[in-house]
Amino acid sequence: MRDFDAFNTMNKGFDFSQAVAEADRCLLCHDAPCSKGCPADTKPGEFIRKFQLKNITGAIRTIKTNNILGGTCGVLCPTERLCEEACSAMLKSKEMPQGQDRAIRIGEIQRFLVEYSWERGYQVLKKPDQNQGKVAVVGSGPGGLSCAAELAQAGYQVTIFEARPEPGGVIRYGVAPFRFDQTFLKKELADIEALGVEFVCNHRIEGEKGAEKLLEDGFKAVFLAPGLWKAAELIPGQAPIEGLLSSVDYLESLRDGRLEQTATTFEGKTVAVIGGGAVAMDCAETAARIGAKDVYLVYRRSYLQMPAEEKEIQAALETGIHFLLLNQPLDYLTTADNIISGIKIARTQLGNPDNSGRRAPVEIAGSEWNLGVDIVIEAIGNQAVPESPNWYPGVKTDGKHLIQADPETGETSVKGIFAGGDIVRGPSLVVNAVRDGKVAAQAIQQYLNQ
Amino acid sequence: MKSSNQVDLSIDFCGVTFINPFLLSSSPVSNSAEMVEAAYEAGWAGVAFKTLNSDRIPIIHPSPRMNSYHYGHKKLVGLQNVEQISDRPLKDNLVDFLYLKKKYPDRVLISSIMGFSNAEWEYLAKVSEDNGADMLELNFSCPHMCVEGSGHHVGKAFDLIEKFTTTVKNAVSIPVLAKMTPNITDMTEPALYAKRGGADGIAAINTVSGISKVGLNDLVPKPNVFGIGAISGTSGPAIKPIGLRFIAEMAQCEELNLPLSGMGGIETWIDALEYLLLGAGTIQVTTGIIHYGYRIVEDMIEGLSDFMVEKGFNSVSELVGKANANLKTTDHFELDRQGITEYNLDACIGCGQCVIICNDAAGQALDWDEKERRPHLIEDKCLSCMICSFVCPVDGLITFKEMPKEWNRRETRTMDASLEKELKFSPYKDIQVL
Ligand SMILES: Cc1cc2nc3c(=O)[nH]c(=O)nc-3n(C[C@H](O)[C@H](O)[C@H](O)COP(=O)(O)OP(=O)(O)OC[C@H]3O[C@@H](n4cnc5c(N)ncnc54)[C@H](O)[C@@H]3O)c2cc1C
Ligand SMILES: Cc1cc2nc3c(=O)[nH]c(=O)nc-3n(C[C@H](O)[C@H](O)[C@H](O)COP(=O)(O)O)c2cc1C
Ligand code: SF4
Ligand code: SF4
Ligand code: SF4
Repeated sequence: MRDFDAFNTMNKGFDFSQAVAEADRCLLCHDAPCSKGCPADTKPGEFIRKFQLKNITGAIRTIKTNNILGGTCGVLCPTERLCEEACSAMLKSKEMPQGQDRAIRIGEIQRFLVEYSWERGYQVLKKPDQNQGKVAVVGSGPGGLSCAAELAQAGYQVTIFEARPEPGGVIRYGVAPFRFDQTFLKKELADIEALGVEFVCNHRIEGEKGAEKLLEDGFKAVFLAPGLWKAAELIPGQAPIEGLLSSVDYLESLRDGRLEQTATTFEGKTVAVIGGGAVAMDCAETAARIGAKDVYLVYRRSYLQMPAEEKEIQAALETGIHFLLLNQPLDYLTTADNIISGIKIARTQLGNPDNSGRRAPVEIAGSEWNLGVDIVIEAIGNQAVPESPNWYPGVKTDGKHLIQADPETGETSVKGIFAGGDIVRGPSLVVNAVRDGKVAAQAIQQYLNQ
Repeated sequence: MKSSNQVDLSIDFCGVTFINPFLLSSSPVSNSAEMVEAAYEAGWAGVAFKTLNSDRIPIIHPSPRMNSYHYGHKKLVGLQNVEQISDRPLKDNLVDFLYLKKKYPDRVLISSIMGFSNAEWEYLAKVSEDNGADMLELNFSCPHMCVEGSGHHVGKAFDLIEKFTTTVKNAVSIPVLAKMTPNITDMTEPALYAKRGGADGIAAINTVSGISKVGLNDLVPKPNVFGIGAISGTSGPAIKPIGLRFIAEMAQCEELNLPLSGMGGIETWIDALEYLLLGAGTIQVTTGIIHYGYRIVEDMIEGLSDFMVEKGFNSVSELVGKANANLKTTDHFELDRQGITEYNLDACIGCGQCVIICNDAAGQALDWDEKERRPHLIEDKCLSCMICSFVCPVDGLITFKEMPKEWNRRETRTMDASLEKELKFSPYKDIQVL
């Protein structure tokens, strides 16, 4: 038996004195830019001030009332382009436009405070007594959890339907466990359960009008947050090949009890991961850490065009991933037994910007080459499950099956049905899903109070 | 945990109800109604308005009037100021009184006054009462008034305290606090004079006379008022121990038995709570606001409320003086109980600061394992001074543990026992003087 403890456990966060020292660096700005930079309105300017002034319970209350996944966000948010982006502590001025110091590590302080609340048993949120009626939430990812918690605090009786055995969505079955582990998730979920939210797991809302029918089953409103659980394919309609995995299936296998089995398959193998986003980095880094001999990251553009966060890219590089930039995979090579043996790849150069605003890869004629590999993981984007529109045929969706919802309220084209998270935005962030859940919860209350 | 807005923080102090015990003290933070209004909006329960003057003599503040005392990267550990009492016309201050009482009837307006003669004290007391003040605070304590016969000069002449307090009490019917200077050895004595004069409560402390910084290029103590420095008022966290001590002593003085308004170095709810626990019924703040702004009251309210919920206190008055039962003079200590430090070396990062200071300033009870780079405690040399735990960078690594009664500490060694034969010494014999 291999020891997966390190793989399954994330690094420790700040201890008390580290957190105090970091919070002490905060300038307690007048119109705190950090607070403006948080999509979920977690109010870092306020919770750091409270912490600095020793009002620790208040700091935790600020985080948790504004962001029920405050701990999770503290760990997973790409803070350098959110709350920390315009932090005054970088000491940027006209004289020193590059700044003279680093931003306050807001995410880490936020994580510390939430962990401290667990350690000390501070329950800052209350379950109200009143019953305002039943609301259904489809999907227990960050979006669903946030909407449910917000409504539960307002006195609604919320049921979350979750297809998988345990709640959490991507943060349970997607993100690499050494970046975000189960123990942490369980504690954050306990705060939501304490509000009286009911979880119905192993219960997929599906079939014709499956989601819309919830309105007839006694639920006064429905919030849809099923996320994106179909992996995009390099070659659409590709027939199965042994050793060709999708990022969704692969990552899920690390977290649903099959870790040992997957690790055995990967032991000593040469693996290629196709893609340059956060998911690709998670796939590559995990593959290396469960025992692959060599992991190639095959990406068709160059370093600067990678959508992954800088710190994720660095982590992958430090794990020893070989980056094959400016390489466009074209096709797969297989053995006679339909086992993958390699990828046919063309070298590229960058051309003019495409729709995404990034310079487009242009294949170099005659540059094809073959990379011999044992396993390929496709991580080129997550999409809505194609049959999902059938669950809510009245709800307007777009060509990619994404739900069209009002960004300010989450309202869809069906009265009483709201939506948010990745199923509306496309691949996005935990903190954005939290925001969507919150604004939808407010809109749902308004709708129900009409 | 109950949310903070469910906790009732109100307290009765000298017969006046305060929505919470947090007040602005008399200083620039309470200089005008415009400022006090913002403070009320932030949550402060009342104000000791910037000390009024009667317009008899013009008040001109020195410039610059303050200097900050930094310690390392920590700003405003102390504040040095040479500010005078209010430089606004009395009429303007009184119009502001009317505005505040009209708009915020539930907030307490304490008029701080300072006179130079009986007649002036009486005059200021009356105009304050006539224009809405709920209470008076007699400023016997400003340490740096540029005018002789005022401020803490009165605070040190105890008969004047009694005389002026009597005058004021005869002139008004609202409660009267006497605000004391800490620049004396015993505050209960002047407080008793104030009581004899009829004071309803004591406010303390005003700023501590001090010098916190000397300019090294110009050799002028700060603030440098065009080449001249002065012994002036120190305030802020650096003076909290002094403020707490005077409040506790007055609270324990049975003869005094007056409500106390505590101040000196309060920034957080914990500081405020310490003042309450040692006997203050309300607390006042200046330097904390000079550092952070009025917003700190939000954290005082929330922090104190959460504490009360967690510990099961139902009202602020239950907290007042609660720690004084455990505050005794040092002759009450049980000296037959002794302890030592305990090291959790699994958490040690190997900086060796403990070894340096234990050897240079304590029991020399630590050896340094050079290979492991870790301290080793020689238990029977440890003095339990605990200084190693103050410098150790790891929280909770070094703790105190009590030792069994039969345990003994080793005597500190002498360097060369052979020198004993050269000693000129016979043991001291106590001579009974009859
Ligand atoms: C590998 C990976 C790494 C990521 N890393 C980060 C990161 O570091 N930081 C960050 O901010 N974001 C990250 N993200 C993005 C982030 O996880 C998502 O934006 C976020 O989880 C979206 O939340 P959601 O609630 O919309 O959906 P999801 O998290 O996808 O949750 C949807 C849930 O709904 C369930 N469900 C689906 N259909 C049904 C149905 N019909 N009935 C019942 N239940 C259903 C699913 O099982 C799932 O539990 C990452 C994403 C991936 C894939
Ligand atoms: C700049 C400044 C001006 C002050 N002016 C007055 C005053 O006019 N009247 C008065 O009674 N106290 C005055 N004080 C003293 C404060 O009210 C308070 O007693 C003292 O500063 C201790 O509290 P703190 O540590 O919270 O500042 C002043 C203090 C400062 C710093
Ligand atoms: S922007 Fe930075 S320095 Fe300013 S309040 Fe926020 S965290 Fe503190
Ligand atoms: S939720 Fe994320 S973005 Fe918002 S303050 Fe916290 S760490 Fe920053
Ligand atoms: S001061 Fe603390 S961390 Fe440093 S050597 Fe001593 S015990 Fe270890």
